[in-house]
Amino acid sequence: MASVVQVRAVTVAFGGLRALRGIDLDIAQGERVAVIGPNGAGKTTLFNVIAGDIAPTSGAVVIRGQDCTYRPSRHRPRLGLARTYQKARAFAGLTVRENIYLALAGHRGRHRALWQSPTDHRMRDEAAEVASRVWLASQLDEVAGELAHGQRRQLELAMAIATRPDVMLLDEPASGLSRGERERLVELLESFDDQLTLLVIEHDMDVAFRIAQRVVVMADGEQVMAGSPEQVRSDPHVHQIYLGTEAAV
Amino acid sequence: MNLRDRLTGARLAFAGLVLIMVLLPSLATAFFVNFVMTQTLILGLAAATIVFLAKYGGMTSLAQLLMFGIAGFMFGNAALAGGARGLNLGWHPWAAVGFALLVTTVAAFVLGAIASRTTGIYFLMLTLVYGVIGYFVFAQIVEISGPGGITSIQRPDLLGPPIRLYYAGLLLSVLAYLGFRAVRRTAFGLALQGVRDDPVRMASLGFNVALHRTLAFTMAGFVAGLAGLLNVWWNGQIDPASISIGPTLILLIIAVIGGISSLEGAWLGAFVYVLVFTYLRDLPLVDRIGITEARFNTVIGVIVLAIMVLSPEGLTGIGQRLRRRLRRRVAAEAAPTAGDSLPVHTTQKELGGTRP
Repeated sequence: MASVVQVRAVTVAFGGLRALRGIDLDIAQGERVAVIGPNGAGKTTLFNVIAGDIAPTSGAVVIRGQDCTYRPSRHRPRLGLARTYQKARAFAGLTVRENIYLALAGHRGRHRALWQSPTDHRMRDEAAEVASRVWLASQLDEVAGELAHGQRRQLELAMAIATRPDVMLLDEPASGLSRGERERLVELLESFDDQLTLLVIEHDMDVAFRIAQRVVVMADGEQVMAGSPEQVRSDPHVHQIYLGTEAAV
Repeated sequence: MNLRDRLTGARLAFAGLVLIMVLLPSLATAFFVNFVMTQTLILGLAAATIVFLAKYGGMTSLAQLLMFGIAGFMFGNAALAGGARGLNLGWHPWAAVGFALLVTTVAAFVLGAIASRTTGIYFLMLTLVYGVIGYFVFAQIVEISGPGGITSIQRPDLLGPPIRLYYAGLLLSVLAYLGFRAVRRTAFGLALQGVRDDPVRMASLGFNVALHRTLAFTMAGFVAGLAGLLNVWWNGQIDPASISIGPTLILLIIAVIGGISSLEGAWLGAFVYVLVFTYLRDLPLVDRIGITEARFNTVIGVIVLAIMVLSPEGLTGIGQRLRRRLRRRVAAEAAPTAGDSLPVHTTQKELGGTRP
């Protein structure tokens, strides 16, 4: 199957610190990939490079056949890529509806219709439909800055879904959610269209292993291994990385 | 939404205020209308552009007085005929108005395009640099500013009598106020607020953050240019000192006095500033305690300090706080005493920040 996201020998250096060291990654259309690793492994930096938030020091990022290495992040939605952030970054001064509206407008280039009112019925209905998918239907008119942490994460997800992406990067989507909310999150992720490509950073192994077909393990800016959830779960090296045991390598 | 729903308290208050302003020339002295209120409207219009950029775009600009000055200088250069200072182009006054607004808008677009790459304190500093550069450009290139400024500037015949200038200021102020509020509800305004809250997130959603900032700066520059035209018609002259660092900061102070997160505050701040500036010297004992005209800015500084300590949201913030307190008291008095149950009222606490 053709790759929709290709990461080629990507290195990112912040001064003397090398956050990524020659990462290679190929993600096929419709594939569900989880990226795991301890804090400081470079997972979010990898997401930032793919999403265009930071440019790599060397290497290349190709999305749907287009070299996007040095293209700014605002071009990514046109290629069907959406992302969420580790720390929920909804627009605090706007309502849930307005947040989702911005996601809809950005994706469709509707922001070019500068003076158009954003309150037409079609957009309102779409925003309501997306909000209901992430259980925020009753919070549509609440200001995002006043939402609870878990609800802000749901809103992040709603904004990503609203763009109807082909590739979705989710940075710790289950972080801060209760057990019940995590269960619903997994159900939601599993309900996505088969053609949607998912790349997920997740510390909750239960969530990561349930949704992923392939798991990529990172440590110290490098890819340590990649394999099926079962392979990763039983790998002694992964155990050593996470638990610091003296397991044979 | 029917008419009853549309007639909210705030809208009725606004309509009432506009009505009073329209009737003011028959209620107050000519000095109060033509000096105090006309100046209030002009400075309020200019300060509103600072509030618009800060409130909706998260950009605190110190370049708005430069836009104000560019429009004034360009009008003076274009409208005056031979013998006067400046370029003496001698154009028709309305052609000069168009020219002044065009140059101001283009300057705002170019300067905004550069400044849009910066945020926060860097944006503030860059726009301060614009103000300083603008001052020196007009101070040193006397061909466009005349030695010692451009004087004897006449307003168009349509605005001949001072009262018409007052009404022009009122009309432009009302249009700018309603316009800025309407912009907030457009796709552009919503995106601008998104840029204010989180530019990185907006870019990841596909928005051109720099373009939105640039357009907002351009729009504010155009409105500041309108205020600059009113000012040059009111003053009859303009000189580089009127756009130096001192007046630049005064405009920011006006916005802060009223409340930098409130559009209404721009005109309120201007009113307080003009009132103090005009009437302070007439107060009894003021001279005896050492407050002379030369120390006027110290008085303004003390007023700003007091307002900032009492309410960082300025005078409108104090007003909102009093209104909330009054509403709570009315609600508490109206609430029925229900047996032994403990009454619980809706409470709200705002921890700073900009709210729509």
